Amino acid sequence: MDLFKKIFSIFAAISFFVSLALPAQAKVEGDTIILGAAVSLTGKYSTNGEHTQNGYNMAVQRINDMGGVTVGGKSYKFDIIYYDDESDSGRAAQLAERLIKQDGVQYMLGPYSSGLTKAMAPVTEENQIPMVEANGASRSLFTKGYKYLFAVLSAANQYLEVAIDLAVEKNGGNPVNIAMAFEQDAFSQDVRIGVVEAAERTGSTIIIDDKLPKELNDMAATLAKVKATKPDVLVVSGHSKGALTAIRQISEMKVDIPMLAMTHCDASKLAKQHGKNSEYALCAAQWHKTLSYSDSFFGDGQQFDKDFNDMFGYAPPYQAAESAAALLVYKAAFERANSFDKEKVRDALAQTDMQTFYGNIKFNDTGQNIAKPMVLFQVRCEGDVCANRVVAPTKWASHELVHPIPSWSTR
Amino acid sequence: MNNKIIFYGLIVAFGLVVPFLFPAFKLQISIMLILIILSLTWDVQGGQMGYNTFGNILFFGLGMYICSSFQIGLFFPLAEWTASGGEKTFVHTPTQFFQGFAVGLVLSGIIPALVAALIGYGILGLRGHYFAICTLGLGIAAGELAGGIELVGAGQGMTSPPWPKGIGDTELRSEFFYYICFTLMVCTFLFLRWAYTTRFGLVLNAIRDNEDKAEAMGINTMRYKITGWVVSAFFVGMAGGLMGNMIGYIEPVETAFAGRTFGVFMVLMAILGGKGTLWGPVIGAVAFHIFKEGFWIFFLGWQYVALGALIVIVVIFFPEGIMGWFREKYPERFGEVIDEEDRKAEVKLN
Repeated sequence: MDLFKKIFSIFAAISFFVSLALPAQAKVEGDTIILGAAVSLTGKYSTNGEHTQNGYNMAVQRINDMGGVTVGGKSYKFDIIYYDDESDSGRAAQLAERLIKQDGVQYMLGPYSSGLTKAMAPVTEENQIPMVEANGASRSLFTKGYKYLFAVLSAANQYLEVAIDLAVEKNGGNPVNIAMAFEQDAFSQDVRIGVVEAAERTGSTIIIDDKLPKELNDMAATLAKVKATKPDVLVVSGHSKGALTAIRQISEMKVDIPMLAMTHCDASKLAKQHGKNSEYALCAAQWHKTLSYSDSFFGDGQQFDKDFNDMFGYAPPYQAAESAAALLVYKAAFERANSFDKEKVRDALAQTDMQTFYGNIKFNDTGQNIAKPMVLFQVRCEGDVCANRVVAPTKWASHELVHPIPSWSTR
Repeated sequence: MNNKIIFYGLIVAFGLVVPFLFPAFKLQISIMLILIILSLTWDVQGGQMGYNTFGNILFFGLGMYICSSFQIGLFFPLAEWTASGGEKTFVHTPTQFFQGFAVGLVLSGIIPALVAALIGYGILGLRGHYFAICTLGLGIAAGELAGGIELVGAGQGMTSPPWPKGIGDTELRSEFFYYICFTLMVCTFLFLRWAYTTRFGLVLNAIRDNEDKAEAMGINTMRYKITGWVVSAFFVGMAGGLMGNMIGYIEPVETAFAGRTFGVFMVLMAILGGKGTLWGPVIGAVAFHIFKEGFWIFFLGWQYVALGALIVIVVIFFPEGIMGWFREKYPERFGEVIDEEDRKAEVKLN
């Protein structure tokens, strides 16, 4: 039995040291305001998790370099505690609790993806910790009466509604036939809700409605059906992997469709990876560098694009831009609250009404940003160089929408 | 015997005061208790019976969905709760919450146990690698199926009922779930400890050592194999029900049928601690959880590489697990009698 006692005391000692190794930090240490974030550094969202983290880091550095956050006449710097949620919603919920309970974090930043945000929001809400999130677009986040959740982005159901409207418009105002394929995850299924509603509104018919497995890498069955039924528009959503898979197989199978609407074209660097094969794909985005918004930290979109490129070596997808904007919202809220009291910070967040390089930000009662529209762009190529060109809304459109997409035999 | 009672008493006492010693770690420790249950029950098949199953995660996910579905469905329309990714909000009163939780938790043990009995009859006829591969498919298939069932939120997942308003804060919530987890862990441990001392335990070992021989001796091995799986499924299902409530959000392949995380962890923990022993899975789970959480802090982004290195070290230096290593070092403490004279006697080969 001594042996068991020994084992027991060893583990008691280990747990004691682990608890020492993780001292509960205060929300504000010295002249540093500590924010907590769980982002996907590994797993299926690792690419977008990295965009999120880079966006956060760039904004923290910029704000700190430009004098930090002034509260009570004193200047504070931002710092972020990161954990890796492994693209796993169970893990994300645990990490939210860990950041709050063990690390003593009082202000949270969101993770990447709707699913993970949905997993974390109940925890932050129960603990009454404000969370400004930039990558959780699911509409159900805004119907739960959450008081401490603030999203700087437009809801997922708004992503591709515009595309359906465009298709109807191009069809002379007549209803269209829609084929759609969505990944089985929170975000894509929310995009689906938006498309279904748009179809009902315009009287359009959904002729193919496929659900695709997670980590989408084959949709040949859907495309075979598309080839046979010839719909007016094909809608695909499945994060970056879904966008890449769709283009790869559409070009391999030479599927002709008048309109192809997708998400995550810029995060997956579609135009670069698939070049001319991706031409004419229509993509929903939260932000594009050519939009005419600006602020005093990042300048305008073009400037942000350049600075981000210098720092990380690639063009910023909108995931990075919205993440950076989340920090600007926090900074402004701290200064307006002029306090570190989380309730006061929450109230200040709720009153946010500002312009950033990423767009206008103003929250409604449910914490949703209602001041910023979605944009649609189309991949267009000049020679062998392909890029995303804004085609809607008309205010920022730099190019005309090409419709219908030329058939593969002529491309 | 007295020593044993003191030892167990100490552990239970420690378990009871843990939430007050480490108030910030309640959820972490609760999850560790869940992991202990998972590895203990995996060991019934993997260790005692010699059937390496990857399918126990099926019962974990089932339990999670069943518990939450009943918690919700008893008082509100489940289809509306999960519609459009859970847009509508319903609020449980405290009475509704606890009634639903009690019913849900019991059913989350019983239904997976029934499922185990049903599918066990077919699957447990397979042996060795064939059994392992077949059970691996179970978890994956269940995840994909759950991802298509609208009633439980399909790919959007479903939220489990939030802690009712008006009775205590988040501290009370974590304490409540901690004690339920602790009770379930103790029950699982005591039940298995008792079961292993009965004929049931002996038959399981006989199946592991030589199933054909056991059958030839007149033992209806299938009956025992199914019983073993039913026992595992019962406790794993309840663990799943608890986990769903603690996490608050059920996602078909990431939290419920999480073959890639919990499904693998339960095997790893049992092997790390020493499979085929009573204490091995417990020690394995505790060590694994502490290492894993440590790696997550100190090797951010590289945690799985560090975990992989740990597995390699275990396989090379402790092939029998921690308990196996102790057993080799101090066999007399495990009740193995060593004839010192015989041990020291010179061995002469002809």
